[in-house]
Amino acid sequence: MDSKDLKLYEITAYTENHVGLLSAIAGIFARRSLNIEKLLVYPSDVPGIHKFKIVTRCEDDKIENVVLQIEKKVDVLKAFYHINNEYSGRESQLVRELVAQREKEENNK
Amino acid sequence: MAEKKISGSDILLRSLIHQGVEVVFGYPGGQIMPVYDRLMDYGDSLRHILARHEQGAIHAAQGYARAKGAPGCVIVTSGPGATNVITGVDDAMVDSTPVVVIAGQVPVSLLGTDAFQETDLIGLTTPITKWSYQIRRPEDIAWAVARAFYIAGTGRPGPVVLDFTKDAQIGLAEYVPAECSFIRSYNPHPVPSEEMIDRAAKMIDESRKPFCVYGQGIVLSGAEKELAAFLEKGNIKAGSTLLGLSALPSDHPNYVGMLGMHGNVTGNILTQECDLLIAVGMRFSDRVTGKLSTYASKARIIHIDIDPTEIGKNIPVELGILSDAKVALSRLTEKITARKSDEWGMEHIMCRAVEQHRVIDPELHSEDAELHPGEVVDAVASATGGNAIVVTDVGQNQMIAARYSKFTSTRSFITSGGLGTMGFGLPAAVGAKIGTPGKTVVLFVGDGGLQMTEQEFGTIKQEGTGVKIVLLNNNWLGNVRMWQELFFKKRYSFTRMVNPDFKMLADAYGIDCMNVETREELKEGIGRMLSDDKPFLLNVHVQENSMVFPMIAPGKSIDEIMLNEKDFFDREK
Repeated sequence: MDSKDLKLYEITAYTENHVGLLSAIAGIFARRSLNIEKLLVYPSDVPGIHKFKIVTRCEDDKIENVVLQIEKKVDVLKAFYHINNEYSGRESQLVRELVAQREKEENNK
Repeated sequence: MAEKKISGSDILLRSLIHQGVEVVFGYPGGQIMPVYDRLMDYGDSLRHILARHEQGAIHAAQGYARAKGAPGCVIVTSGPGATNVITGVDDAMVDSTPVVVIAGQVPVSLLGTDAFQETDLIGLTTPITKWSYQIRRPEDIAWAVARAFYIAGTGRPGPVVLDFTKDAQIGLAEYVPAECSFIRSYNPHPVPSEEMIDRAAKMIDESRKPFCVYGQGIVLSGAEKELAAFLEKGNIKAGSTLLGLSALPSDHPNYVGMLGMHGNVTGNILTQECDLLIAVGMRFSDRVTGKLSTYASKARIIHIDIDPTEIGKNIPVELGILSDAKVALSRLTEKITARKSDEWGMEHIMCRAVEQHRVIDPELHSEDAELHPGEVVDAVASATGGNAIVVTDVGQNQMIAARYSKFTSTRSFITSGGLGTMGFGLPAAVGAKIGTPGKTVVLFVGDGGLQMTEQEFGTIKQEGTGVKIVLLNNNWLGNVRMWQELFFKKRYSFTRMVNPDFKMLADAYGIDCMNVETREELKEGIGRMLSDDKPFLLNVHVQENSMVFPMIAPGKSIDEIMLNEKDFFDREK
């Protein structure tokens, strides 16, 4: 299938702001021969957490594994995907809760 | 009062000791010399094993980690020293082996200048490590080492690379011991919900023909007892992946053998015939599943794994449980109903009998004057009583060792599964023996793979490591030769080996050796080999054209089992 026939997906990842993470994430795409159509990296509205916004064309049955592979990187907190332009405003709230919960678990140890 | 400042090299070594490291495998060189200079004074608490090539150092660390159940540790120099460990790093990644590699790096001021022996190690290893990090300041060392061991050893284990700049090695800082048990962006202990466990238990209770397939996740989470208890309560038969071997003893009544391309007939047939497949700590490798579209097509599937990227990756599953195997199995065992009936009836007995009669008996009682490699492995297994740690290289030696070895305890089978690294065997066996000196460690290796890392004879000589090397010598790259015979019209392109005199080679290193050609010599040789704890090379001349059966050809369904070149297994017969 020509890659132009594939759906556009938008992936968002909430991450630590560490050297080398961009190339680690880019490698996940290159290894699967997925082209990145659009890429933005910037501080998210969760304090101390960065956000990647990546738009790619991908086969429907591959996108979930790509997102899980991104989330598997040690410096990534959470990754999501959706069909382009269907961005959910609840993501950053989820990440905020996740950070709070993980830190609470650690403090209770 | 603050402790006085010490060098980064001292901080590194003290941090390693703080992490419980007892042995490091390595090779010195220009950009790691400050660390080696200090290492000399840590002989009481850190044993350094000098490999003969950095690839040998990392495979030894892998063998050590797999046998001992503790992370392996490697120290090498920058540039070529670092690139030489990359095969082992990738091997450890795909086979989930905890290793921490510390590599020298040029001074920070020279980074990016193509300085002598500078290589972008972080760039090279990022895709094949759990974490790669460059240490630029001595203040960061204790933190980075603690984090490295935490990441390497938790969750799904794997390799970590620390790129250790010369500035950090020679700079001075206070040493404050560091711990790491939490990284907010990393969750290695997912807890399955009660609802998930209930759903799984219900599916198991509802099934009539359940079958369990398990992998190395059982060993890595220490779930051997929990697996046995689960199988016994539910009266469930189970098959193992290549890397899961020895998690259950070979004679466990619920165990039906190995899965996959050269696995036992029973495990593959039960996979196809079961109505519920319970997969634990395994990743549905293509060597296990064969053709995906026909794999376990009559079954509902439960997949328990600690790595979320593995659940649903190759095989769609009805229920995925993200969990450590030990946690999930012990909770599941409480919930399932004990059952006595075995709906499989005679099916597995029939499969086993066919394999015994058509494959195993002809191999073990060959009429050929020359030895079949299966006879050799079988004779060694009998002589050790299944109590040895078996290490293999890659190829026919590996599959035959996996098929004919017997195991009585866990962590007794060490092989390169996912990457299939020829040359893995000899150094991995050295590391396994150093990690578990009280055990007999037997290596099965081919003449091709031995020559890929045979320089590690030097390590054996220097350390006196009592590895028992069984060379299954057929003067061919046997597995490739076999594929050429089966799939490439018998065009034996560059698989014939003209070999050295291995006995002379062993003599040169002071390793006892015996050449074996007959069954009498085999018996005598194994006796000699196992009579003491010294290194030994048993050079066994085996049949040149032997094959490994049963075999499922690549891309075929796992019930299309070749019993030999002409005949397929037929369960209707």
